[in-house]
Amino acid sequence: MTLAMKDAIHSPHRTLGAPFAALDDGQVVQAFLEGNDRAFDELVSRYQVRLLNFIYRTVGDRERAEDLVQEVFIRIYRHLHRFDQSKKFSTWAYTIASNLAKNELRNRSRNPLVLFQTIKRHWEADHRPLQFEDSSSRPDDLFRKRHLRELVEQSVSKLPEHHRVVFVLRELEGKTYEEIAEITGCNLGTVKSRLNRARNSFAAIIQPHLD
Amino acid sequence: MNCCEFRERYSDFADGLLTPLSKAEADAHLALCAPCRRFDAALRAGVNLLRGLPSVGMSRGFGPSLRRRLRGELAVRMPGMIRWSGAFGTLLVVATAGFIGWDWLQTRAARRAARSEWASAAPGWAAAATPTNHAAAVHSGLPIDLPRLPLETFHPLNSILVVEQATPASGQERVRFDVPAVWGGP
Repeated sequence: MTLAMKDAIHSPHRTLGAPFAALDDGQVVQAFLEGNDRAFDELVSRYQVRLLNFIYRTVGDRERAEDLVQEVFIRIYRHLHRFDQSKKFSTWAYTIASNLAKNELRNRSRNPLVLFQTIKRHWEADHRPLQFEDSSSRPDDLFRKRHLRELVEQSVSKLPEHHRVVFVLRELEGKTYEEIAEITGCNLGTVKSRLNRARNSFAAIIQPHLD
Repeated sequence: MNCCEFRERYSDFADGLLTPLSKAEADAHLALCAPCRRFDAALRAGVNLLRGLPSVGMSRGFGPSLRRRLRGELAVRMPGMIRWSGAFGTLLVVATAGFIGWDWLQTRAARRAARSEWASAAPGWAAAATPTNHAAAVHSGLPIDLPRLPLETFHPLNSILVVEQATPASGQERVRFDVPAVWGGP
């Protein structure tokens, strides 16, 4: 184990500053493959929050989403030497995250206990103490805002799994159709079709509450 | 364009992927159809709300936990490295043994060649070998019994061979032979 690798492990979230800031993802990956193990820290810091939000919006469970983000980075670390550098690193990372999220949803549907735990956790969240979100807003505005947020989150969680992944990738992550096709392993036509259905379903769920 | 067609092509409309003609048709339909207008407004408002949701951040435990798992990952990788280093070591041993064997064969061939060359070039010398690797040399009538010596002593690259032996006249005598090689083995 090189000294740099030890450093990378002992401080994966250290701010690295200049050495990698100006590099694009491909160059950072190349640096890691050439033995600069600190480059892996940079990849973690660039993608951890994005992947967490993507997985969280897909599986709807924050703790589990964080576990899955860790798993994504472990897999990236393990297989980075096999990564085709002619492709975008972000697409590859999202592909891993998407597959893990899909597996998670599949396992949940087979295991009602996990589903119950997730529901229970959401139920507990409703009983958390009031948070001071914005002292300048009126209480009824705060209530309405919070209600709408929960409504939107619930609307996303009600979408069928394969529609939800495509919807989140497009609307939240801003991925192109081609990238979504690569991430989900579907062809372009399927992506368009799923996205259109997801948008229709989302609008149908949320429209009565917004009228 | 009717409502069904509008909803079917809504994604292309929302993403600006319609041709100018189709977009004009969709715009015209939207201007006339209140339900589709509400649908469009609801979707855009919903997506805006979704994008406005606060970003979820990493918990404090994420970093240490990832570090632990990466350490574990290295531990998993290390046996693989050891396995590869073992294979490399075996390969090195085989290669070394092969080289030594090849060198031994080369040396033996060179000794044989040197012996025959020596025997023909220096008729005053005579060497005889026994199966037990003893040799005897006769130089100017003085009999010299070469004791059993390590093979290295007879390496063909040694051009000088020094042998100590007892002689009747002076006791212990050091005899120097300038020879290309001496017969060193069967």
